[in-house]
Amino acid sequence: MPHQVFARVLSNDPIIAGHQVITCDAPSLAAEAQPGHFVNVLTAERSDPLLRKPFSVYTVDRDRGQISLLYSIVGATTEGMARKRPGEILDIVGPLGGRLFQADPRPNAAHIMVGGGYGVPPLVFLSRELRLAQSEPNITFIIGARRKDLLLCEAELIAAGVDARVATEDGSHGISGRVTDVLEPLLLEKSGLPVTVYCCGPTPMMRAVAELCLRLGVTCQLSVEVAMPCGIGVCMGCVLDLTDGRRVRCCVDGPVFEAAEVKWS
Amino acid sequence: MTTPNTAVKIGKLTLRNPIVTGSGTFGFGPEMANIVDLNKLGAVVVKSTSREARLGNPTPRIVETPSGILNAIGLQNSGVDNFIAEKLPFLRNYDVPIIVNLVGTEVADYVHLAEKLTAAGGVHGLEINISCPNVSHGCDFAVDPVLTAELIREVRKVTDLTLITKLSPNVTDMVLIARAAVDAGSDALSLINTLIGTAIDIRRRKFRLANITGGLSGPAVKPIALRCVWQVHRALPNVPLIGMGGIMSATDAVEFLLAGATAVAIGTATFVNPTAATDVAAGLEAYLVENGINDVNALVGAVTQ
Repeated sequence: MPHQVFARVLSNDPIIAGHQVITCDAPSLAAEAQPGHFVNVLTAERSDPLLRKPFSVYTVDRDRGQISLLYSIVGATTEGMARKRPGEILDIVGPLGGRLFQADPRPNAAHIMVGGGYGVPPLVFLSRELRLAQSEPNITFIIGARRKDLLLCEAELIAAGVDARVATEDGSHGISGRVTDVLEPLLLEKSGLPVTVYCCGPTPMMRAVAELCLRLGVTCQLSVEVAMPCGIGVCMGCVLDLTDGRRVRCCVDGPVFEAAEVKWS
Repeated sequence: MTTPNTAVKIGKLTLRNPIVTGSGTFGFGPEMANIVDLNKLGAVVVKSTSREARLGNPTPRIVETPSGILNAIGLQNSGVDNFIAEKLPFLRNYDVPIIVNLVGTEVADYVHLAEKLTAAGGVHGLEINISCPNVSHGCDFAVDPVLTAELIREVRKVTDLTLITKLSPNVTDMVLIARAAVDAGSDALSLINTLIGTAIDIRRRKFRLANITGGLSGPAVKPIALRCVWQVHRALPNVPLIGMGGIMSATDAVEFLLAGATAVAIGTATFVNPTAATDVAAGLEAYLVENGINDVNALVGAVTQ
């Protein structure tokens, strides 16, 4: 259940330019968080900016009671996060999210993660959880970025034995192009297996992935990225229109939706 | 010292403490019941309910401005029949007054809603929203004392529930509207609704809200809200007021009580801290104890120059 935690910061280190990982002591969040959950962070001390900002959960260490967030320094809240030193306190509300990633439990399932930019961290979490739950899960991880220096988590995925494939828009690493240029041939490669695509990233990328999966009849789960002012289902600011005509709240009715459900504007 | 009295009266209702939820910031109850104990609140004011379901405005619907937010939700709700069938049974499990915020475009809409909600059972008060700034004609009643009086008079005829009129600050003289509502049968007043504002993205050279304008709330509006409460209390000292506008802490709540509010609503603060309402209730009680005040009612309007 969502609750507020004043979590002690254990480490807060840059990973690539403009991106850091902050790790906090937060046993209750570590115990409850599942892939797809997000947390809301507040760093302003005097109501400006007023609202918390959402961050998907990157990793949890349940034994140590720790939670990590991977964030890009883009505004006042993330600048405030970047200033936190070990021992200081981070004000977190979480875990948030009503509908999370649902990994296919079948042993022969093929799991394809498609992450773009800051959409990569929640899928790294999902990959870790799959490896904890299944012996030798069949995971392929497509990482997309504009340039090589903006690429997230490739080394750690490779170190974990995940089949990581990269697409950069400028061709500076991996294949030159978009994640869908990697995904389409990969789906042919995996045909015959029960495939699920799990996707998170910028909206145009998710739309392209969703449309490709729908065209090829592949199950695809999207973690939708929209501004979520409250994160707890009461402000009605994060609504999303679905193909069945419903207008739902991303924060508590999602953030994960099936590709076929999302009506793109 | 014995535990201070925190109970206050709003019309026929006795609230265990002066802290209520601001309509549109607390959902319909179930959203929040896992996070806060509803039975620790003075009352639960649920989101605006209309005759028919409403989808609300397009997005973006909420944007941040300095120490505040602008919202243009557009009264998204599932309609009164859905509220009675799907939401009210859950709320009946709690020992807390339930106040439903009503919206409509015509007098007949409000009368219809009041009749249905009175007959439903389990609703204890009606907050008449004459002042939503985010829908066309939403402010027509709020700016006109004659229309306000006519609306409240007609609703009063069909319900014996506590009637609370929610006033708009987007008027020249709030006291005029307040008096009209009370003379027509409103038991209490809520103030203030949000202030109409806008924000512009200079990079895209576009309005930041899809609706162009929205209602400003949060700490940015608190001094204005406090002034409105004080003005209305001074003019109508015997009318219970529910004060609201940027209350984030028990300190803010005490300011509103001193200005003349009998109860206060926690709104935007809940978006930032989900337990804000119960935190403020606990903080208010601590303030009473620390200051040796044995009845919260002693604070109401007790500000001096």
